Amino acid sequence: MYKTTGFISFVFRRVSGLALVIYLFMHMLVIGSVNGGPEAFNARMAMMQTPIFRFFEVALLAAVVYHAFDGIRLLIVHWFNVTQYRTSLFYAMFVMFVIVTLVGGVPIILFALEGH
Amino acid sequence: MRVFVLQRVTAVALVVFLTLHMIVVHYPPGHLDFSRVMVRLANPVWKVIDILFLLSVLVHALAGAYAVLIDAERIMPYKRILAWGAIALGVVAFIYGTITIINFKVLV
Amino acid sequence: MSQAQNTGQVMKAVIRIQRFNPDVDRKPYLADYPLDITDDTTLLDALETIKNELDGSLTFRRSCRHAICGSCAMNINGKNTLVCNRRVKAFLDGKGRVTIRPLPYLPIIKDLVVDRSAFWEQYLRVKPWLIPPASYNENQAPNSEFRVMPEEVAALKNAETCIMCGACYSACSVVGMNKKYIGPHALLKSFLRVMDPRDSAPAERLENVGGDDGVFRCHTIFNCIDVCPKGLNPTQAIETLRKLAQKRRDFEAARVERQKTLEADHV
Repeated sequence: MYKTTGFISFVFRRVSGLALVIYLFMHMLVIGSVNGGPEAFNARMAMMQTPIFRFFEVALLAAVVYHAFDGIRLLIVHWFNVTQYRTSLFYAMFVMFVIVTLVGGVPIILFALEGH
Repeated sequence: MRVFVLQRVTAVALVVFLTLHMIVVHYPPGHLDFSRVMVRLANPVWKVIDILFLLSVLVHALAGAYAVLIDAERIMPYKRILAWGAIALGVVAFIYGTITIINFKVLV
Repeated sequence: MSQAQNTGQVMKAVIRIQRFNPDVDRKPYLADYPLDITDDTTLLDALETIKNELDGSLTFRRSCRHAICGSCAMNINGKNTLVCNRRVKAFLDGKGRVTIRPLPYLPIIKDLVVDRSAFWEQYLRVKPWLIPPASYNENQAPNSEFRVMPEEVAALKNAETCIMCGACYSACSVVGMNKKYIGPHALLKSFLRVMDPRDSAPAERLENVGGDDGVFRCHTIFNCIDVCPKGLNPTQAIETLRKLAQKRRDFEAARVERQKTLEADHV
């Protein structure tokens, strides 16, 4: 087993990708409750505003952001001949992922802590 | 090759759509309800953008899941069945999602 | 001992080797062999010493000792490399120990010898030989060579010096999951032929490697670059093949034109 940055990014990419596929279909079903009328939708949305869902929201954000930056890294590798910078690229991508997740995730947590 | 190209094209589209989606729908992180979504979706341009977003995300998700599955040597011989299954699931989900997006027109 | 003092200081090392004899053992196990080494002792020297002095049943492949035959690729401390040109000292951990295992993902025949038939089967799939221009007559010796431009030769530098050691193939996580994948070694060879202006079947090659089990199965994990003992770059070759596979008709047409000038030069 190779614990190189390439392998680690590959495993994270898979896991986040599969999690997002499952989330996508759940998301579509939840939003689809609008077909039952606005009341059904608002009731379902209120259900999603509990603290446990806030935690899932941050996890979801992390998965999306990681998957996106990893994908951008792969596109860069595909379009430009930059394989010799593969490790630096991975770390740059990872730093971007952490920053964006914090910028997006902290407000969600703060908002939840304020008791909304 | 087709799966790969689709995956890369939708990946680029998703970077744009998803950024837009996150900013428009979820920030500021307030109480999300029907009226707020409706104000935005009253504009037909947003409906078109959301349907295109739905299409890319479905293609990307199903192509990705397909690629993950046929990585396994034992599953690879059944890739035709898997591909058709993914297409069928995608079509059903796309129709369902499009109906959902269009249904956001009801005024409260 | 006196000879050892001439080449450097003698130190203690423990060579930990994964042993497996299919006639006796149910599972592979690790065995430790304490050894005196110097600065210059290579991993292959250590294996030879163990085989000659400590345990004659130890089995491994080796031939040239010059990192050119590609026989002795093994997994050292979790990373594939050749054992003949690497010094033991560089691999010792804090406890003075180095672990040698056979190449991963391949069936073990005995000790450090693995069954590489999957590796060669995939290699043959890409037709690793050059398909010469139509004017080339194999029954008649040519009067001159096909002259290739310096920049065309430069484009091949990532692929030319492959010694077929199998380090990249058995480091590839995709190969670990799926032996139907062509593999970095064969895709690198295909790249070498596709980019060669003397080769007259690039479209056929690109179609061959452009499927689900070829360049589009690669997940850009970079293990092949990390382990290549010759410093080659299979991932870049695969990315190039991916781009060319999407426009293989144009590429073939350009090759036909190029070969016309190639044959005009060739008398």
